[in-house]
Amino acid sequence: MVWVRYVGGRLLALVLTVLVGSVVVFLVMKAAPGDPAVAALGESARPELVAAFRAKHNLDVPWALQYGRWLSGIARGDFGLSLTVASDRPIAGLIAARLPNTIFIGVMALLIAVILSLIAGTIAALRRGKLADTIATSLAAFGISMPDFWLSYVLILVFALGLGLFPAYGFIAPAQSFTGALYSGFLPALAVSAPLAAVFARTLRTSLLEAGNKDYVVAARSFGFHPAYVFVHWIFRNALIPYITIIGLQIRYILGGVVVIERIFGISGVGSLMVDGAFARDYPVVQACAVVFLVIVLSVNLVVDVVCSLLDPKRAR
Amino acid sequence: MAVLLRTLWSNRTARAGVIIVGLFLLAISVGGALMPYSATDMDFLNLLTPPAWTHPFGTDSFGRDVLTRVLLGGRVSLAISVTGVSLAAIIGIPAGLAAAWYGNPIDQLLMRCADLLFAFPSFVLALFLMVVLGFGVTNVILAIALVYVPIFARLARNLALTVREEAYVQAARLMGQSTARILGREILPNIMAPIMVQASISIAFGVIIEAGLSFLGLGVQPPTPSLGVIMADGREYFNQGPWVLTLAGLFISFGLLGLNLLGDGLRDLTDPKLREKTTS
Amino acid sequence: MSNGGLRRRDFLGSSAATIAATQLPFSYGAWAQGASTLRAGITGYNVINTLDPGKATLIPEFYVIWALYNGLMRLDANSNPTPDLAESVKADGNTLEFKLRTGVKFHDGSEMTSDDVKFTLERLLDDKFASPNKSKVSGLSAIEVPDASTVRLVTKEAFAPLLTFLANARTGTQVLSRKAVSAAGDDFGKKPVGTGAYSLKDWVPGERVSLAAFSGYFGGAPKIATIDMPLIAEESSGVTALLGGQIDLTSTAPFADIPNLEKNASITVLKQAGLNCRFVSLNHRKAPFDDPAFRRACSMAFDRNALVRAVLFGEGVTAHGLIPPSIGYAYGGNNRPLCTYDPAKAKAELAKSKYPNGAEAEILTWGQSWWKRMAEVFVAQCNQTLGTKFTVQVTEANTVFQRHKSGDYQGSIWGWLGLLDADEYLYDIIHSKGWRNFYGYSNPKVDDLLERARRELDQGKRGALYKEAENTMIEDMPVVPLFVSNVHNLMTKKVQGFKQLPYSNWGDQFANMSLS
Repeated sequence: MVWVRYVGGRLLALVLTVLVGSVVVFLVMKAAPGDPAVAALGESARPELVAAFRAKHNLDVPWALQYGRWLSGIARGDFGLSLTVASDRPIAGLIAARLPNTIFIGVMALLIAVILSLIAGTIAALRRGKLADTIATSLAAFGISMPDFWLSYVLILVFALGLGLFPAYGFIAPAQSFTGALYSGFLPALAVSAPLAAVFARTLRTSLLEAGNKDYVVAARSFGFHPAYVFVHWIFRNALIPYITIIGLQIRYILGGVVVIERIFGISGVGSLMVDGAFARDYPVVQACAVVFLVIVLSVNLVVDVVCSLLDPKRAR
Repeated sequence: MAVLLRTLWSNRTARAGVIIVGLFLLAISVGGALMPYSATDMDFLNLLTPPAWTHPFGTDSFGRDVLTRVLLGGRVSLAISVTGVSLAAIIGIPAGLAAAWYGNPIDQLLMRCADLLFAFPSFVLALFLMVVLGFGVTNVILAIALVYVPIFARLARNLALTVREEAYVQAARLMGQSTARILGREILPNIMAPIMVQASISIAFGVIIEAGLSFLGLGVQPPTPSLGVIMADGREYFNQGPWVLTLAGLFISFGLLGLNLLGDGLRDLTDPKLREKTTS
Repeated sequence: MSNGGLRRRDFLGSSAATIAATQLPFSYGAWAQGASTLRAGITGYNVINTLDPGKATLIPEFYVIWALYNGLMRLDANSNPTPDLAESVKADGNTLEFKLRTGVKFHDGSEMTSDDVKFTLERLLDDKFASPNKSKVSGLSAIEVPDASTVRLVTKEAFAPLLTFLANARTGTQVLSRKAVSAAGDDFGKKPVGTGAYSLKDWVPGERVSLAAFSGYFGGAPKIATIDMPLIAEESSGVTALLGGQIDLTSTAPFADIPNLEKNASITVLKQAGLNCRFVSLNHRKAPFDDPAFRRACSMAFDRNALVRAVLFGEGVTAHGLIPPSIGYAYGGNNRPLCTYDPAKAKAELAKSKYPNGAEAEILTWGQSWWKRMAEVFVAQCNQTLGTKFTVQVTEANTVFQRHKSGDYQGSIWGWLGLLDADEYLYDIIHSKGWRNFYGYSNPKVDDLLERARRELDQGKRGALYKEAENTMIEDMPVVPLFVSNVHNLMTKKVQGFKQLPYSNWGDQFANMSLS
């Protein structure tokens, strides 16, 4: 029962946050200078065209009513039609086409980052203060010191144009060809994973060190358990909680922090859609993307919290 | 100061960080003055000349010396990031302290706002603000601040919660000290170390946000150089003059590496939970 | 968590496919569908709103439209209109009589008749349809169709640019099928039906458009079966994609890359002076640009040759007027003293102006790339020569348009491209009633010359009128002409038959192309 109430409460909070968030995004977009009609019809649009466009898209009614209509659409599962980014196309379709790309690259980057960080973080923690630690820590620090777009260009230069191992541009949707997606998504995923791996490794190192200092670990060691057993059974398990938490926190980065990388590699993702929408004043597209972001990020956070509390040894007993 | 430096020196990571940051600061503060060129004067006879002794980083498409621009740009980028992060700290820390001290409903309200901001990717958030406010330095600073306000607020709140019940805080309270005094004199100094760690890492990432925004053409206005502007220019003629993007990127990565190492080292040194216990 | 198991099985299944795939020579996914697919990247753009010529405004929209439809006319290599859907055209005073080609089929199999032409033009003229391209045909007073293969267009007075406007270019007059448009209604822009060599196969907004060869095309079935057109927002990514072998042809190329690409033996670079003009638009309603002497001083204060070198990397020619060299009969050359760098004369002109000392002005521009760089060089040189305090304000295109239209600007980097007729370059831009005249320029003498040119059907005489109008206009320096940039296409060596025209043509060439 406690669980049901906890999760239920969190879900309610989630819905409320999404609602508030959508209002804020809506107001912010309205406050931005610029007119979707100009963006859609081009610089040559004449006044009567603009008026017709505004009437057709509900832009000529008070903003509260605009928001209300949009919200009632969402409640019915209707995200509305795009104004400028892909005029008159259903936004749900746009997002459905792009979300798999974003998720695919994101998951791939996550996997790369997790593998790299498990190695680097563990070595750094086990060899604390030694040369290996310094090297691993420095590599991690370097990972977040490189601007992502710069790294992308270096990767293209070396692996695509130089060695010819990977395509320089373009991404094949996973639905079309899974292997094609793996192949064409590798370089962008690598570029995305660099800062992720760095953050993960750093967190893992710290939490391993912290866990290694816990009294019960000190006690376990002094009881003469094998160090490897102590490491896996007590230290690592404890360190996993902050590690998973930090992975959960990076979901937002994966969803949209990679806009520039998407641009460079020609991946149509949700983050790019939202940014294109913002520039073209495509209000409903921006709103829809914001809702998608909020729902995914908050749900992932919820799942992470639940997983962590299951992992917590104090609970497991 | 001397004590702090000596402590930092004892940690290999922090030592590397201090050295790199020191070199970086030295380069951007006096380096520009040592260069015989101006960062903005165009020289149409020397367009895109490759690196050589006269121009160690080559020239850009307007014939400007890239090294001079990178040094000045580093100063501009760093200043923008530091200002943005400081602004975030000035707003975020008091908000976080207030949330911890007064509890609900202020706590709930602030943390829900932070949650909301946290749900959006920081770069998208920054971009968004630029679209609404328009382009330019001030708005880049505001965008960076907006990204970091929730981070500082949440950090300060969580840290303050852990020390709130400590004896010295309770003592100050019983002595009837004002809230502002307790927060400022008792709590803040005791939570400062992790905040400094966060700040050094944030400044590094702030430079990257600035670079990203300027890279998309939204940031610093010409002719002022920033690292992002230089890289954006460099990308445009990357095939003809690859040195502009490559060297500017290396320079920025080097400087930020120092900041990040410094942050790592600081964390190692200051986190009480990480102080090694003897196991014998 | 049961999903996890499913996903894992999917993954295993796919890795089995990996093994199978690696035994074949690796084919790069959807973009390599055999030799009969042309991968033609639309570079520099990622928005296509509609494929309805009557509604289209953006260049990438026309790139595709040119492949899907035909006009009564098309432009030949010298930008002169020649018959396309028309077999012949006869001009007689205010009347143009077109004999239509017979046996032309639309993509839906129906036959094109004079009624479809009438429908197309009436649709453009219909106020309710609100076409952005209406002004191109608004001179028409009657559309007569004496029989199924004859169309007679009557104008109130002679209107010289009309034939050009009826070509398969950026004017939206491509011939549509009455039946198909009526059937599709508002959706026609998404389900285009034309007479062109290709029909729409697939369209993923913001990502790609694919076309399929139309076997019933009146010019004979095209050789390439499929055209795949990814929308590549970054021009530089287009180059990367071409060099990396992911596309075969680009619609543009970044100026900076041209010198290096020309040295690359594996690709072909096509280039020529384009149909465009780039200028600094000056607001005559605001200081300091309300003073013609000050505007003239600015025009002589910077070196256009340096601008072409530093901004275009040499990929263009200096402009001393608004009409580009590709419109030969009206081109006034580039040796006007008022548009030549001359610091002494510039300072003398400045001294005569109302703002001799350090005038301040904000020059708007947008985005990154060369638009921004134009402003940078112009501002830096003006400041150096004249001691002015100009600054560059970079913002986004949307905001620049808005501020232009509302008159909320001092100066702005501006330009037009893809306009075809001299009339569009001068009447629209500097006639006091021209709709692109945002800066409030008005000179009765210029107005009169431009109106006369519209009525003059003799090309030689018409050209002389335009030259005179430009000579008159340049004294007032309503805008500061900068340069005409080259148009570029990049292709791999296997692409054959693409003929570049100065108006940045594209889809109209697909019918003649093949892959070796």
